[in-house]
Amino acid sequence: MIPRRWKRQRRAARLVLVVLAVALAASACAPDEDTGGGETGGTVKLGFISPVTGFVAALGTDMRRGWEMYWQQNGGKAGDVTVQTVFEDDTGDPEVALTKARRLVEQEQVQLVAGPILANTAYAVAGYVAGRGLPTVQMTGADDLTQRKFDPLVLRVGYTSSQSNFPAGQWAYEQGHKTAVTICPDYAFGWESCGGFVSAFVKAGGKIERQVWHPLGTQDFSTYVAQARQANPDVVFIGSAGGPDAILFYKSWTGFGLKDRIPLVGNCCFADQVFLREVGEEALDLQSFTYWSEGRDSPLVQRFVQAYEQQHKEIPSLYAAGAYTMAQVIAEALKKTGGKIEGEDFINAARQVSLSESLYGALTFDDTNNVVGPVYRTRVQRRDDGTLWSVVEQTFPEVSQFGTEGKEAFLEHPVFSRDYTGQ
Amino acid sequence: MSAARWAGVAALAAGIAAVVAAPYVLPSYTVSLLTLMFIAALLASSVNLLAGLAGLVSIGHAGIAAAGAYGVAWATVHGLGLPAALGVAAALTLAVSVVYALTTMRTSGIVFLMITLALGITVFGLALKLSSVTGGQNGLTGVRRPGMVGEWWQYYFFTAAVYGACLLVLAAMSRSPFGLTLRGIRESQSRMTSLGYSVTAVKFVAILVSGAFAGCAGVLLAWNSEFLSPSVASFSRSALAVVIVIVGGVGTLLGPLVGAGIVVAAEYWLSSYVERWQTVLGAVLILVVLFAPRGIVGGLEGLAGQLTHRPRKEGS
Repeated sequence: MIPRRWKRQRRAARLVLVVLAVALAASACAPDEDTGGGETGGTVKLGFISPVTGFVAALGTDMRRGWEMYWQQNGGKAGDVTVQTVFEDDTGDPEVALTKARRLVEQEQVQLVAGPILANTAYAVAGYVAGRGLPTVQMTGADDLTQRKFDPLVLRVGYTSSQSNFPAGQWAYEQGHKTAVTICPDYAFGWESCGGFVSAFVKAGGKIERQVWHPLGTQDFSTYVAQARQANPDVVFIGSAGGPDAILFYKSWTGFGLKDRIPLVGNCCFADQVFLREVGEEALDLQSFTYWSEGRDSPLVQRFVQAYEQQHKEIPSLYAAGAYTMAQVIAEALKKTGGKIEGEDFINAARQVSLSESLYGALTFDDTNNVVGPVYRTRVQRRDDGTLWSVVEQTFPEVSQFGTEGKEAFLEHPVFSRDYTGQ
Repeated sequence: MSAARWAGVAALAAGIAAVVAAPYVLPSYTVSLLTLMFIAALLASSVNLLAGLAGLVSIGHAGIAAAGAYGVAWATVHGLGLPAALGVAAALTLAVSVVYALTTMRTSGIVFLMITLALGITVFGLALKLSSVTGGQNGLTGVRRPGMVGEWWQYYFFTAAVYGACLLVLAAMSRSPFGLTLRGIRESQSRMTSLGYSVTAVKFVAILVSGAFAGCAGVLLAWNSEFLSPSVASFSRSALAVVIVIVGGVGTLLGPLVGAGIVVAAEYWLSSYVERWQTVLGAVLILVVLFAPRGIVGGLEGLAGQLTHRPRKEGS
């Protein structure tokens, strides 16, 4: 015998479910409004994929903000071409990224897809979009995207994971450091970051004492730091993807008292703004090799930082700057083609874009669609208002994805991995 | 035939007609979502086989699916033909399923759940680390579907057909003596032992069978995206399969399909409009658990039962 109260509850529950179902069904009919535009005169429709939910939501949100800021500052136009963007969230998962790319191409009929950021999502999206004969613009680091897996429909407005670390290896040796230890996360980004440093350092004449690989999401870095200390090298290179790993590593590093004993050199993403906000004072004077420096003495960078800070109350990250630069290159290419986006022709036009100044500095592209641009040696300093940021100390101009080796020789090596870092 | 039987046949015919008509009336993107739904439903069905019949909830089945997916993807990338690729996928799926089975066949309940969780994470870790085989985080590119199902609509029909075939096998199995034995184990392990059944051996076989379905789902997944990376084995994939089973209805034949429909709709369609689609999905899960503890299909079956029984009660 069921009490009547229960029955009433069940009926209420059924009602709730029915209402939910009807609401879902009703909203299903909604998204057909904006089918106009697209092909008609002077408008292009672009797709933009980044992870705004999930474990890398912070990066994706910054990307979206950077992208929006460029079009905002330019009135949503490239020359007289009106640019319309459809945003999608990939949640950091390649399966989702691929399906979202399908939606953008097949349903929204976008003419170009930009993003996403993680290597696996980028490969999944680029493979599909290029397979449909449409151009895609990427900013992910995965080396092979513009190397051994080069596709004429894929342009990278960004640096490979190893690219900015070649000057780091060379520079470290020239500073008189004969031995080094590298510490990198144990997955593709880390292998490629360390590969850049190691190959250049060894080529210059240095010796790698030890390569320490830590799993992504390490909580306790003491064993890894202890390994580095035991090897007692002249210099330590850390190739981090940022986030908690970078912060926890550095806490361990300073805890061991190594801050003033062994020089530490970071990659693009080690001492980023998230890191500086968390670590504070202790981060002063840290040196990094990167292509994005928020404190670089350039009117363009400072205008961008100011506008971004006004809107979002924080200093823009590498990801915001990267998406902004993607938008800028696409806009320049659109001006060249008169608003036409036709497969390889568009990518060829984009590759011809040469910026005398961008957020990254003077940019050109090589013939496998990757950036050739400056790398900066930066140092963490205090801004006038007391905020920590990185300022440029030295510029290495026109760094190529192939380092100093040249394309053919470089492509003979396998891609950097745990087993091959160019030693 | 009774009226209920006729209604069942009519519903089945309507369902099949809808599945066949879909690519002709729906846009290609929507059809690709339906393809994903069938694949998710197949993986969930493999979880449901253990959860529904034997009461063993696995939260690591994406690991087995990943074995099938990596098997077929690796073989295709290395230029093996279709039969060889499927052979590699089957062998790898079997190997991983045997590991799952050997480590969990003596357990049940929360212990079973924890071990499968650990195994799933282990597979994920291996996929990430063995980069010379799996491509690591960068994944495997250059995976291609067999030519005869290359087009999106062909692949949709193929996926639907595989799912349909698996459904028939699952339905037959649930009524077979083997299915009844599994039910017996769920109700009382000790009684089954005293009746002379080797509970451990039965569980071992059940996990292998379930693994075969998961492996199929993995192969379909690799062919669908034509790209593979470790996230295929991630915890969230395994967890989503369990969510699908719970929302759809544990132990019901069509529950996983309904659950997969809801989850795929939330993940791909709702997320284009609502940033917090996971919150919505969570709310749906809570509502289902509170008000339809047997899942949507289970709840509907109960409702249908009530409706058909009531007139008879009044008549007598």
